Amino acid sequence: MNKFKKFGASFVSLAAIFGMVACGADDYSGEDFISIEDVIAHAKTLSSASGSGDSTEKTATPNFNVPEEGYDGSEVEITFYSTQGSNLKEITDKYIEKFNETYPNIKVTHSSIGGYDDVRDQIKTEIPVKNQPNIAYCYPDHVALYNLSRAVVQLDNLIDSTISDGNGGVLGLTAAQKADFIQGYYDEGRQFGDGLMYSMPYSKSTEVLYYNVEAFNDAGVTVPTHWFTESETDTTSMEYVCEKLKEKYPNDIPLGYDSEANWMITMAEQCGSDYTSATGSHFTFDNTTNKAIAKRFAEWYNKGWVTTQTLYGAYTSGLFIADGSETSPTRSFMSIGSSAGANHQVPAKVDNAYPFTVGITSIPQMCENNKKVISQGPSVCVFKKSNPQEVVASWLLVKYLTTNVAYQAEFGKASGYVPVLKSVAEDATYAAHIANATKGNDYATALAAKVCLEQESAYYTSPAFNGSSMARDQIGKALPKILSGYSGKTNEEVNKFINQTFHEAVVECEQSI
Amino acid sequence: MATRTMKERNMSDIKNSQRIVKIVITTLIYVFLIAVAISVLFPFYWMINSSLKSLGEYRLTVPTFFPKKIIWGNYAEAFNAANLGTLFLNTLFVGLVSTALSLVITVLSAFAFARLEFKGKNALFAALLATMMIPGELFTITNYQTVTHLGWLNSYTVLIIPMLVSVFYIYLLRQNFLQIPNELYLAAKVDGTSDLKYLWKVMIPLALPTLISITILKMMGSWNAYIWPRLVANDGAHSLITNGLRNSFTDTSGDVNYPVQMAAVALVSLPLFLVFIFLRKYIMKGVSRSGIKG
Amino acid sequence: MVEGKNQWKAWIYLLPCLILLLIFTVYPIINTVRMAFLNGYNGMMAVGGEKFSFGVKNFVDVITYKEFLTCLKNTMLLCVITVPVSTLLALLIAVCLNSIKPLNRLLQTIYFIPYVTNSIAIGMVFAAMFNIVGSFFGTPNEIVTTAGIINNIIEAFGGTKVNWINAGSTYAANMTVMVIYIVWNALPFKILILLGGLQSVNKQYYDAAKIDGTSRSRTFWRITVPLLSPMIAYVIITGFIGGFKEYSSIIGIFGETLGPASAPYSLNTMVGYIYRSLSLGNEGKASAAAIILFGIILVVTLIQLYVQKKRVHY
Repeated sequence: MNKFKKFGASFVSLAAIFGMVACGADDYSGEDFISIEDVIAHAKTLSSASGSGDSTEKTATPNFNVPEEGYDGSEVEITFYSTQGSNLKEITDKYIEKFNETYPNIKVTHSSIGGYDDVRDQIKTEIPVKNQPNIAYCYPDHVALYNLSRAVVQLDNLIDSTISDGNGGVLGLTAAQKADFIQGYYDEGRQFGDGLMYSMPYSKSTEVLYYNVEAFNDAGVTVPTHWFTESETDTTSMEYVCEKLKEKYPNDIPLGYDSEANWMITMAEQCGSDYTSATGSHFTFDNTTNKAIAKRFAEWYNKGWVTTQTLYGAYTSGLFIADGSETSPTRSFMSIGSSAGANHQVPAKVDNAYPFTVGITSIPQMCENNKKVISQGPSVCVFKKSNPQEVVASWLLVKYLTTNVAYQAEFGKASGYVPVLKSVAEDATYAAHIANATKGNDYATALAAKVCLEQESAYYTSPAFNGSSMARDQIGKALPKILSGYSGKTNEEVNKFINQTFHEAVVECEQSI
Repeated sequence: MATRTMKERNMSDIKNSQRIVKIVITTLIYVFLIAVAISVLFPFYWMINSSLKSLGEYRLTVPTFFPKKIIWGNYAEAFNAANLGTLFLNTLFVGLVSTALSLVITVLSAFAFARLEFKGKNALFAALLATMMIPGELFTITNYQTVTHLGWLNSYTVLIIPMLVSVFYIYLLRQNFLQIPNELYLAAKVDGTSDLKYLWKVMIPLALPTLISITILKMMGSWNAYIWPRLVANDGAHSLITNGLRNSFTDTSGDVNYPVQMAAVALVSLPLFLVFIFLRKYIMKGVSRSGIKG
Repeated sequence: MVEGKNQWKAWIYLLPCLILLLIFTVYPIINTVRMAFLNGYNGMMAVGGEKFSFGVKNFVDVITYKEFLTCLKNTMLLCVITVPVSTLLALLIAVCLNSIKPLNRLLQTIYFIPYVTNSIAIGMVFAAMFNIVGSFFGTPNEIVTTAGIINNIIEAFGGTKVNWINAGSTYAANMTVMVIYIVWNALPFKILILLGGLQSVNKQYYDAAKIDGTSRSRTFWRITVPLLSPMIAYVIITGFIGGFKEYSSIIGIFGETLGPASAPYSLNTMVGYIYRSLSLGNEGKASAAAIILFGIILVVTLIQLYVQKKRVHY
């Protein structure tokens, strides 16, 4: 018996220690945040030109100098890590063969390494032993990580090089080639605070709004163009549409938003509020505008208007394509997700006919003059190697794949991602593909690509630095926490709770670096 | 007289009630054991159930307990998509070689710790046990650097050598060896039998069940290894089965085709399951013989 | 004994084992200790030429990190609950199994099946059993499509459904699911070991007990448990070592959120913390946390060995 007593006592004391460190919401302010009206008013003063700090001014010299002779034709072996599935890899490998017709001595090994995180983890382990690949699929956050070891080649001198590429052209990019890149995609490569170019866009996607055309007609609503209701006669806000849909279909959820992180980051961008900064105190998302927005979305959630991937527990496209039958009774009528995932937003045919038509349009905005949509999808970066010829050869391949219209068109068609070049739109096969956009659900990928291409001026990029992936992670966890924690609290408690959640997210970010 | 019959009746009542209690207890035991069996089988059943569904049915919000339409094609697709044939052979080769080498090392070490006397034996053994307590994830980075410097990347060597020593197996086998009476060893010494011969002729046959258990555990370990093989052998030629399982069933947008993955998992589990059924007796014996002496 | 002669022989026998351990275990451990004592050590920065000063900053960072205590608490709680529960349950199953003849082999085989069932499948089944499919729990607009098998069973017995793992679920509910999952996972190995032990127990003890008319429970506590004590000690010690390294089971139920959506990371464990630090490149902190974890496991194991020496019957 004595033993149990002792055990119990030590357990109690243990519990007491844990109890002490718990710190309550009472330490936070319960005052209201900025009003949504003021947020809208501020957003209206913004214009696309005044985008958040994508400084293109170079503040450092590139770390790679092109050898005088350029690529000297010597035999080199280069490796390329991607995440391409077998069908895409086939296409890429076909073009790599074509590349080899021009450069027979550049032997390319193209490996598909699982998902994006797998590529990152693999390279992270390989860098310390200088075993990294020559070229790799990357997201800006990954490049920021590799940058800690200064292993990524800054491409500026290669891009600007005017020496021969050994094939009748220049090694760098011509002015026409540079101008052909969709600006928002191209800028993603230089958001690392020093204005230098670390990666080239490979294939991209964005978020689009999928909606159920028939349900919209039945509920008597039209496509929402902005988020919040601005006047009593406003019928094109997301709020109005959600309210009407919920009235019409009380047991369903009007809107599903897949990525919580994208939602918050895009809102900050549209509202002109801070999210992160490449310099100074990085984590600036703990501000009154972001908190007011999060609070408003929590009200939406509480009204049964919206759910997210984390809260729903699966891709919200599952709700969108649900048929309302016994096995999948809950539906949604709008779904905001990747434009590259259009196939998953199309319902299965019943008796050879689609139960509803999928409409695709751009996501709601805060202000028409300051359209902002996120840019996603892989870029490619080049790694340093002791043999400069390997780097130049890698650049040649990167240049070939990212500026080859035929490849970009074929790859875009097969993957659902959009090409990074404007001129692909004029490519005959790709144009024919996009022309199918009006032909209904069978061509949803074409429609998604079309919508994506139409908003090329709206892409924003977020700064990438050591810790930027953590910021994304934390803001993406904070939103569902706030949405699901809203219910049953007084206004003051909600404010305290939101303050606490944002503050803790920032602390978590700061402790991670 | 009357009291006596009362007593007798009581006695037979007690016997009867004892019998009833026994039946009740036996029934309860069976109910309990079968309930546990069902709960154990459920995920296994779920794996098979999922492996026969279409992706659409798999994604239904309310899961179905039996596929509406059985898709045997998932198995064919799994076999082809993951290139299971090659991966199977790779895994089998790595599994067999590493098991054989591992057994040799384990037997020699366990023998030294159980039978031979040398300075610092106990301290060394304790240190070995302590290494079991460090999370293995920490070794990965350093070991990756080591094998790269050794030039072992993308080879069978790198899949086999670093994983050969398992303190756990040495511990298991040492416990078993300790139970073989020391007199046998001393007698053998007097006869002039060499250590190795004694080990081969006496100890190994006596410890056979444990060795079989270790063989199976090691085979299963090779079969299920994931992180290390993916890291050091990702050139396709040396990939192992789990790497194929996790990588091959995603479509272009990165969504996993779970039914096909489950089919592949079921295919991969089958050999292990058969091995267990055939060798169950030895495994049980092996386990019961080791560890008796703490 | 022929000690002197055997000295070098023993080392020869141990040579292959020791060489491999030196290269692939001891060296990484030394490296871990080195990284733990280099302030703010980050492998990527080190490659980039960054130098780190010697000190205990990593340890201070780990200990003063707010979530660290959550991790420690979760790890401790899971160990303290799951190890005794699974051991007792496994013992009960093993004893029951040992007392029956028909179906014995079949059941033994079935109990082994989790070993060959893929962990992804197991995690998915458990999540599906406890998952409430629906939305907006706790709000006026709650939608419940299906409450999950476990809740269906509870409701069939007249109870009310519990929010086990979804947004808004309580810590106690989360912990309950984790305990069930971990116990379930731990059972096959423990049953195997204990059953193996039982089968080697001499039947004479039980016959003697029968003749004496000893009751079942008395036989169990006075004969079975003492005779099995080395086995029990073994499964408890390995259970604790495994329990302190718990991580993948949390991922299995909750995914990368490591907790319900309303409380991300609330179920994170020590190894989870180490993993996360590693993936962020903070090898210094990860190493420091690993050394702390090692210390805890070592102390617990030593205590157990001490108790075992006093209590276990040979």
